Amino acid sequence: MKHEIVQKQGATVVIFRGEIDLESSPAARETLLKCFGDTSNVIVDLSDVSYIDSSGVASLVEALQASKKNGSQFSLAAVSEPTRRVLELARLDKVFTLHDSVDAAIQAHA
Amino acid sequence: MANPPSGDDRRNPHVFDRRKSSGSSGHLELLSKMSGHLAVTLNLEETIQKALDLIVKFVKAEGGALFILEEKFNTLICKASAGPVDIRGIRIRSGEGIVGQCVSVDTSRIVRDVQQDPNFDQTVDESTGFQTRSILCAPMTVNGRRLGAIELVNKSSEDGFFSDTDLLMLQTLASAAALAINNAHMAEELVEQERVSRELELATEMQRSLLPQSPDSHFPVSGTNLPAYEMSGDFYDFFELDDDRIYFSLGDVSGKGMDAALLMSKTASLFRCLGKTILEPDQLLATINRELCETAIHGMFVTMVCGILDPRTGDVRLANAGHEPPLVQSRYGTFTELPASAPPLGIMTLQAADDGIREEQFNLNGGTLYIFTDGVTEGSLQDGTRLEQSGFQTIMLERSDLPAAGRIEAVVKLLSDTGRKRHDDITLLAVEDNRPGLPGVGPADESSLVSRYNFPARADALHAVREVVNNACERCGCAREAATDIMIAVGEACQNVVRHAYRDHDEGEASLEIYCKDGILEFRLQDTAQPVDTEKVKPRWPEELGPGGLGLCLIHDIMDSVEYLPLPEGRGNLLRMVKLIKGYDNNET
Repeated sequence: MKHEIVQKQGATVVIFRGEIDLESSPAARETLLKCFGDTSNVIVDLSDVSYIDSSGVASLVEALQASKKNGSQFSLAAVSEPTRRVLELARLDKVFTLHDSVDAAIQAHA
Repeated sequence: MANPPSGDDRRNPHVFDRRKSSGSSGHLELLSKMSGHLAVTLNLEETIQKALDLIVKFVKAEGGALFILEEKFNTLICKASAGPVDIRGIRIRSGEGIVGQCVSVDTSRIVRDVQQDPNFDQTVDESTGFQTRSILCAPMTVNGRRLGAIELVNKSSEDGFFSDTDLLMLQTLASAAALAINNAHMAEELVEQERVSRELELATEMQRSLLPQSPDSHFPVSGTNLPAYEMSGDFYDFFELDDDRIYFSLGDVSGKGMDAALLMSKTASLFRCLGKTILEPDQLLATINRELCETAIHGMFVTMVCGILDPRTGDVRLANAGHEPPLVQSRYGTFTELPASAPPLGIMTLQAADDGIREEQFNLNGGTLYIFTDGVTEGSLQDGTRLEQSGFQTIMLERSDLPAAGRIEAVVKLLSDTGRKRHDDITLLAVEDNRPGLPGVGPADESSLVSRYNFPARADALHAVREVVNNACERCGCAREAATDIMIAVGEACQNVVRHAYRDHDEGEASLEIYCKDGILEFRLQDTAQPVDTEKVKPRWPEELGPGGLGLCLIHDIMDSVEYLPLPEGRGNLLRMVKLIKGYDNNET
């Protein structure tokens, strides 16, 4: 897994690429939680995630809980098909806020 | 006169003024004789009569009578009588007259002039022509239980008045008679209890005879019924039709008493009788329902499942009226519930149609249909928890080495060997498609091996495992979506091995074997770590989040069968996951 953080129109966009599995999920978790220290507007771009397992999902859930705790905005954008499938199977697709694209997420957060 | 004749002398039977008693040897001899006879008598009425005659003679009364209280009718009946008029059989309402008063307040009385006593009842004198002047009366009680009274009338010598000594004599006789009568009552009750228990035994035997005989071990239908008490409100039955198909049924009558048992007998008889001519399960239930409604007993109903198995094809037709959903266990170990389509029988008339009792048709395809009463799923295990449907399924999977009859016996044994008192009947019916020549359950033999992959139990090895799974799915003709799901499930299973099985040790190894045959993909994931506690490894949804629990949920959701298999060496874990490839077998979805 690789990750990149960009600032776009007041939002912190975290872009994950590749596989978020047991090996990489600790890094994903750290990246996400760190964001909430600096900003209160976080969007996770999952368009290029080819695989996510339950440990990766747990990192996203932890980030969601952290955002609720400190009143930050948090949503998932451009969720790739494999990721969407896991979220559906885990009944979490209704728990997260999902947007079709990063731009749609930015608009919604504004 | 020494004592005024109008004197009303009420006495507590247990207190007596000893100064006035003169215990001569004559009294004692008489009392000892009477008490002795009463204590050992086998013919109570004759002995009481004799005792009454003796005391009447001894006290020099003109007559006497012994009354027994019949509590049910609130009446005193004369059982023994002495003197010029035989009044045996005469009835007095309890509480009326001097005798009735004596009994109701449990007090002895000497009435020296009955004409002065407002309680005196003239009717007996009027009907017999006897003239009562004075009365001596003592109640009979044992441990507060009122049994009746003895009265003597008209002292015939000396001053014409009964004395305290006479009363003492009568009270002593009354005590001895009371004990004898009480013993006789208890003996009668015992005989009655014995009779009822014998009748119950016969009824139990009769009811058992309504259940079918155990068939031979190849017969596809088997059942068992274990009543909690003597009589059961549950039933099951099955019989072969002329065309070799098998009609089967299981029912549960509301309530648990004799009324439920009788309604059970009626319903079971209706099934056996009507089932020979009505060969559609929905029509049969509708007909039985009409019959039960016609003779409805208020508030009672029957939940019932009946169906027909064709043992040559595995086809089943099934109808369910208000009964707990039967379960179908596929030959791959997956379970499907079949909920009821209609309310219980005996409540309202229903048609066998779309708006009434609906019939299900399906093929068992090598699987087993289980029908059971709530006594099974709500039955208590040794630790006090309920078996529940999940526990039932676990036993069926664990004992899949046994034929269906053995599996349901295993459930009964588990629920009956708990040392706890059961409150509900346990009734189970298994309908098994045991046709010879059906494809085997698991393809786990070398010829169907697609891939075997050994990997170190480390997070950085999981990517390669997923590649192996993906390739295997492709080679077996899995659709892309199915392959993605399978990769998620197997990935989670491998992740669990890495995370939990070896914990802090990083030198662990694991192996994954993938088999494919007849549209069944089977994955066997083995490690050599400490065996996991399969009880603790339960799927949990994210509400109680933890990645381990979520992972198991994904595995169970995606796979058609997930189970830990026992390892012969007893070390390590072997997880077996089965996925049916869609479209390969039309009978499975």
